[in-house]
Amino acid sequence: MATPLSQSIIKLHEERHDLEDYQSGVPRWCTGCGDNAILAAVQRLCRDENLAPEKTVFVSGIGCSSRFPHYMKTYGFHGIHGRAFPIAEGVKMARPDLNVFVNTGDGDCCSIGAAHWIHALRYNMNMTVILHDNHVYGLTKKQASPTSPVGLKSNTTPRGSVLEPLNPLTVTLGVANVSFVAQAVDWIPELMYEIVSKAFHHRGFSFIRVIQRCPEFLPKMFEPWLHDPSKTLLLTHDNGLQPSADLGRIYKNQRAHDPLDIHRAREIASSEDPIPVGILYQDPKVPCYEDLRGAGKPRTVEAVRKGLDAEFDKFTIWPDEQGQERAA
Amino acid sequence: MDMAAKFQDQLVFHMTGRRTGEGLAPLDSASMRPALFAGYRDLTRLRHDYPLVLVETGKSDAYAASLTLLVNRVLDALAPRGIEGERLRKHVLRLERELRAMLAAGVSGDLSELWAAAAEKLASAADESVAKVLALAGGAIKIDGALVDCDEHLPSRFMIHAWRHVQAQKAALFHGHLDGLQRRLSDILRAAYAHSEAGQKPAALKAAVGGMHADDFDFSAMSRLVGKNVPKDELPASRRKRIEWALSVIKSQRFHAAKLGQGEPPHEFLFDNVAAAVAAYRDRLPQAVELVKAIAVAELETRNGYDEADHDPFFEAYDEQSIAADDLALFPDYLVCIPADRNDAPENAGLMDTLSSGLPVKVVVQVTDLLEEASLGTGHFAFGVRSARLATTAMGLGGMFVLQAAASSLYRMRNRVEGGMGCRGPALFSVFAGAPAAAGDLPRYLTAAAAMESRAFPAFVYDAAAGDNWATRFSLEHNRNPETDWPVEPFEFADEGLQRQRSDVAFTYADFAMCDRRNAQHFAVVPRDRWTSAMVPAGDWLALPEREAAERVPYLLAVDEKDVLHRVIVDMRMMQATRRCVLLWHRLQEHGGIHDSHAVRLLAREKAAWEAQKSEEIDAIRKAAAASGAPAAEAAPAAATAGAPAAAESAPAAEEKPASDDPWIETARCPSCNECQLINPEMFGYNDNKQAFIKDITKGTYRQLVEAAEVCQVAIIHPGKPKNPDEPGLEELMKRAEAFN
Repeated sequence: MATPLSQSIIKLHEERHDLEDYQSGVPRWCTGCGDNAILAAVQRLCRDENLAPEKTVFVSGIGCSSRFPHYMKTYGFHGIHGRAFPIAEGVKMARPDLNVFVNTGDGDCCSIGAAHWIHALRYNMNMTVILHDNHVYGLTKKQASPTSPVGLKSNTTPRGSVLEPLNPLTVTLGVANVSFVAQAVDWIPELMYEIVSKAFHHRGFSFIRVIQRCPEFLPKMFEPWLHDPSKTLLLTHDNGLQPSADLGRIYKNQRAHDPLDIHRAREIASSEDPIPVGILYQDPKVPCYEDLRGAGKPRTVEAVRKGLDAEFDKFTIWPDEQGQERAA
Repeated sequence: MDMAAKFQDQLVFHMTGRRTGEGLAPLDSASMRPALFAGYRDLTRLRHDYPLVLVETGKSDAYAASLTLLVNRVLDALAPRGIEGERLRKHVLRLERELRAMLAAGVSGDLSELWAAAAEKLASAADESVAKVLALAGGAIKIDGALVDCDEHLPSRFMIHAWRHVQAQKAALFHGHLDGLQRRLSDILRAAYAHSEAGQKPAALKAAVGGMHADDFDFSAMSRLVGKNVPKDELPASRRKRIEWALSVIKSQRFHAAKLGQGEPPHEFLFDNVAAAVAAYRDRLPQAVELVKAIAVAELETRNGYDEADHDPFFEAYDEQSIAADDLALFPDYLVCIPADRNDAPENAGLMDTLSSGLPVKVVVQVTDLLEEASLGTGHFAFGVRSARLATTAMGLGGMFVLQAAASSLYRMRNRVEGGMGCRGPALFSVFAGAPAAAGDLPRYLTAAAAMESRAFPAFVYDAAAGDNWATRFSLEHNRNPETDWPVEPFEFADEGLQRQRSDVAFTYADFAMCDRRNAQHFAVVPRDRWTSAMVPAGDWLALPEREAAERVPYLLAVDEKDVLHRVIVDMRMMQATRRCVLLWHRLQEHGGIHDSHAVRLLAREKAAWEAQKSEEIDAIRKAAAASGAPAAEAAPAAATAGAPAAAESAPAAEEKPASDDPWIETARCPSCNECQLINPEMFGYNDNKQAFIKDITKGTYRQLVEAAEVCQVAIIHPGKPKNPDEPGLEELMKRAEAFN
């Protein structure tokens, strides 16, 4: 008889999934929302990598972006505000065999969840993290977020935001044990897919910041970047992205950047115009927390049952001596 | 229990219709329904074609509009896209549902009054602003008329309304023509009077000049002067008589209602039986002949072309025999609405007579019962010989318009109905209004649609005037999957492990029959633990060879009140009726050019001839090659396949901008944000990577293309040039499209 693991491997090879197999329900995001582009790219990844839905989990906090797990027909955990990372870490510790994704927004990650974010980077557990950064709180109808630009008028900043925005890229690149940092924009689907794919294949905490439009509350914010390709800086490298010839013809502003060069990565990260798009930093050698703690054994149903049985056995009264020995 | 014994019970039931043992449960028609109906429990929650607004005559080009469509239009106009419009959308859609519920409860009335009633009801449970919002939306619906649901009265109401709509158009043309004639005839008489002695008397001159300048002239002097100088041109007495006669006939006509309601009331053209309509036609024929004559005389007179020597004998001989179809087209058509309870054999015989005589009679036959028993005895499925097959019989007469449809699809076929009502000559409309109350509790909309889908009452149109061959005259296009035996629908359910299962389920005649409680004895429910592999879906069972079919039992999928899935086996009787239904359907298909046996035979013959010719050619090449010593075997196939790789290589380039003025989308750049599909999900679709492309350009308008280009956040939609030159507002749209091309 095959072990559960090999059974699931066999199954993995047997079942092919279409994009629709990963789609659950109709997204309730506003029309034109950039979240749709991220959903499409992630669903494509799931299909192309043929991820088993029962072996995949999406964890989120609170916010528009955090509705993401509802629209994936996989396992999902819609957590509480700012706490997507600890939940995802728990999932990974308990079930290192699962593909773990985290979807978080600029408020969820960079404001209330900032402490968890910093330490999640330091833990470097193997998961793919997508920061949906639309520079505003959308679900609560327009309040300033940590990444809102100076001068943004919102319900909480009626005279315009006064603080300089936080740059999630420079923050991540400043934390110890950081292993993968990339930036994507929702309006270039090809690169979005490539970056999500690279992040998925990186073993460690892969952090992608996606700059994303909010057509409802900040309809004009990224207009200049949408209409002028020269305001986007493509980061290319043999170890990073290699955009297609068609895309290269449109986005001519390109720069070769080795993802291993963290100093150059920090320099690029601080640029906001042009927006850098690509892999800023990737170090495959940083150890993962789950490996350091030896969480390697997948907790299969059998393993759990065995563990429970062992616990129950402690309290079982055995009728014969043999049983008592066994219990001891 | 072993499998053989389980199956034995089922086989016995299938062969004899008798349930033996404990293994089979009777079918409870009240709770069981075909599995495909699971999603249609509450029709008031579904936005479908019904209810309809029968638009007041003359208020709009369309004579009927779906409530859903009207609500969509209002929301498009009033509710902005996105969150701002959400509130309005929610309230209006709730009101739409309320209207459906009211109609289902038997309330009737015009859209405006029902809207107001529903708005009041909803607003009473909410704050004041809701009432305001709903009144605003109600005011934005520009058209009004009776709101009708798909009930037993729908066919007659809908058809009478369509007929009135067509007659009103006809009347407008008629009055337009006759008003002109009357005016010109009166002008002739007035001119003649002005030149006559009576017209030149001082009093007449004074009246002609009018009151304002009556004191400025000496009319006696004027009379003397005019009398001396104006040449005498008295109208000949015979001509004056003719003109006056024509004028009086035209004025007193009672065929079309007079415009301002003056004169005698018009004739009634609406009847409930053919005999009365024919009698009325005969009675009025002399009047019609008079009117046709009067119009012809008037036309000649206005052109001053009446030649007594030629025309007098012609008009004297003009009688009932001389009247032609073109003349009859002036008059309103007779509409006979035969109610379901009078749709019997003698009536049908009279009907066939009338239809074949070519009189301008439009007949609406309502069919309510397709599953009634045959007149020849118990236990025989009549299969609607008397009613459902009426339309096919009439089609055989040729020379007329025949439309058969279920009430559920009348709205979708409204253009064909209008065409039929407006055609010259007779027309027959056979409409199935949904199963009667005796059949069960399913809404009529569902049973009507089921009859059409199950091929028990297929929709078709036969229009003799459309062309001179079957291909142009006959159409099956309103049926679902007209090329297959049964329509096949995808069906999803959860199995015991709560895992999603998908299968394709055919909707057969037996499924339709299961909806009728009078047929319950032909079905038996098999519990889950007794399902065997020998059970075959009914649609597949019919396709099995006879020997194999004898070892299998056909089943249908059904759901109970709790939406639990069951298998229901079907007895032989019902399967025979099902087979007969599919045979009749095949006959219709052949008429429609689907699986046409003549064409198949011709194709086979041509193919055999072509293959023989090719093999001769190949033999010749082989022989020639053998003679020259070359390897002959590959020569022929290589030549045949040479073109293929080249075509495959050129395919990827198709994504590039097309050279023509066709619209296109830069699919690779689409960020999947759904904007275009919200505008028209049939025109725009997603590819395998969830990126937009133009799925079917014919399913939408140029306006939608341009609007999609405008809302597209990444501006990758290029509308090209319009395909339909008649679309309104093209100039402005093309200007807007320039920025995206």
